[in-house]
Amino acid sequence: MRILRNISFGQYIPRDSLIHNLDPRIKILSCLAIIVSLFLITKFSGYLILGSFVLISIIISKVHPKFVFRGLRPLLFIIIFTLIIHLFMTEGEVIYQLGFLKITREGLVKGLLISFRLFILILTTSLLTLATSPISLTDGIERLLSVFKFIGMPAHEIAMMMTIALRFIPTLLEETEKIMKAQISRGADFESGNIFNRAKNLIPILIPLFVNAFRRADELAIAMEAKCYRGGEGRTHYRELKIKKTDILTFALTIVTTVTVSVMF
Amino acid sequence: MFIHLENICFTYSLGMPFETEVLKNINLEIDEGEFIGLIGNTGCGKTTLIQHFNGLLAPTSGKIYVEGVDLNKKGANLKLVRQKIGLVFQYPENQLFEETIYQEVAFGPRKLGLPEGKIEKRVKEALKMVDLDYNLYVERSPFSLSGGEMRRVALASILSIRPKMLILDEPTANLDPQGRDNILSEIKKIHYNFGMTVVLVSHNMEEVAETVKRLLVMHRGEIIIDGTPQEIFEKHANDLVKVGLGLPQVTECMHKLKAKGKDVYTGVLTVDDAEREVLKKMKKPIKR
Ligand SMILES: Nc1ncnc2c1ncn2[C@@H]1O[C@H](COP(=O)(O)OP(=O)(O)OP(=O)(O)O)[C@@H](O)[C@H]1O
Ligand SMILES: [Mg+2]
Repeated sequence: MRILRNISFGQYIPRDSLIHNLDPRIKILSCLAIIVSLFLITKFSGYLILGSFVLISIIISKVHPKFVFRGLRPLLFIIIFTLIIHLFMTEGEVIYQLGFLKITREGLVKGLLISFRLFILILTTSLLTLATSPISLTDGIERLLSVFKFIGMPAHEIAMMMTIALRFIPTLLEETEKIMKAQISRGADFESGNIFNRAKNLIPILIPLFVNAFRRADELAIAMEAKCYRGGEGRTHYRELKIKKTDILTFALTIVTTVTVSVMF
Repeated sequence: MFIHLENICFTYSLGMPFETEVLKNINLEIDEGEFIGLIGNTGCGKTTLIQHFNGLLAPTSGKIYVEGVDLNKKGANLKLVRQKIGLVFQYPENQLFEETIYQEVAFGPRKLGLPEGKIEKRVKEALKMVDLDYNLYVERSPFSLSGGEMRRVALASILSIRPKMLILDEPTANLDPQGRDNILSEIKKIHYNFGMTVVLVSHNMEEVAETVKRLLVMHRGEIIIDGTPQEIFEKHANDLVKVGLGLPQVTECMHKLKAKGKDVYTGVLTVDDAEREVLKKMKKPIKR
């Protein structure tokens, strides 16, 4: 049960900082630029520069680094796993041998590079979600996607679905915990038995969860209709997004950094 | 002593950005056969407290004993504790999941590994305790019932475990007056006819006052008053009003009479009690 509470993904931490006040479109595009250059870099020094860039952004955002790094925890396993795979599976100059397992120099370099890549990738995206409220995040996505409207992309609908999904993640987690506790009180056991029994034991959680989720979706749909919601056509926004000078400067800085790093390293 | 709580403190999301201290130094003893009301404003920690009784939550500090067994010691048999202490959650109808009411009520006994014959007996017994006719209901789907009926099925699905103690978290929430009265009278019956220890959580003073024998008043994570309803209404009326819980209307009426100089007993719980008390104190009794 503890696991459910520790998911910090998508958790917004409100602060008054330069990063928080940036236009969400700028933040999303900057993240994309960083991610693209992460995959273009092939040298440690490149990752060092890009990593410092992200670390400085974290400091500017006034979000405690503890929370940003917490995003790493669930994925730490994957990072270590890839590192190990690369360590042992790459052919090359052997630097350490243990029985039939050998670590090669090439494997070490490649494994570390990929770990750095994942590491910075996760930090960047957690900073984005920690420093951008879900509402402005989806606003930004909607505006960015509406560029593709001419090919029939339903930008508003996609953004609305994302808003609703994000809004209900904590509710569902809370509800799962409550149902779990209730079924435990009725004698259910989620901690013992083999994998098939465990899967079967999930039924008393999943059915009430789905029943309640469908009912809630139904109620939400009726409530939206009662408020005359009719989709994106001609809909105005309460908060209009406006590009400010700091947005342009930040974006320019990010682009210059990422392009330089990608080209030079 | 059935349950014993010693200096219980509890904090949600310990070490996270949104950590909140919900229980502060709770000390409490509950004996077998008691009928207790736990009352307090929204968010004061009632639900959090009762989830400690059967080990669903572990205290941040402090100790809990159920029949002398320390719940947070390694190797404590929590399953057995949960069998002894039946906890009915708020809106228990949201936890139903089986195809038929029979299966729903049989869930608990089946998890105990009882043979089918005994399970059937328990289902019959539990449905009877909540006044649902066995033959009419067993084959129906729990999702085809009204809200009040669903709640009774949920209650039966706890009773079929045959707990020694029953804890109900706001069993009357969201019910119409009749559904409310039904559930309350069933709870009373379960206590008086079957001798079960009952803890009734609520934030409605009127319904608790006339139902329970001992009342615990919670405020911001602490138990501030503990006593019989009569005692509390007589002596702690001011405290109740101060924390915003208020008194039952009849009790308030008696306090107002007293404030006007009439020497009446203020620990009354029902309109009938109040009537008797007022008639007794009238100089010229009215002939009825
Ligand atoms: N899972 C949780 N995580 C974090 N905080 C919680 C959690 N559950 C409850 N709280 C907080 O703990 C406090 C006490 O909650 P609790 O549910 O025990 O109150 P309650 O007295 O049962 O209220 P109500 O009468 O509304 O049911 C509240 O302030 C609530 O916001
Ligand atoms: Mg509650």
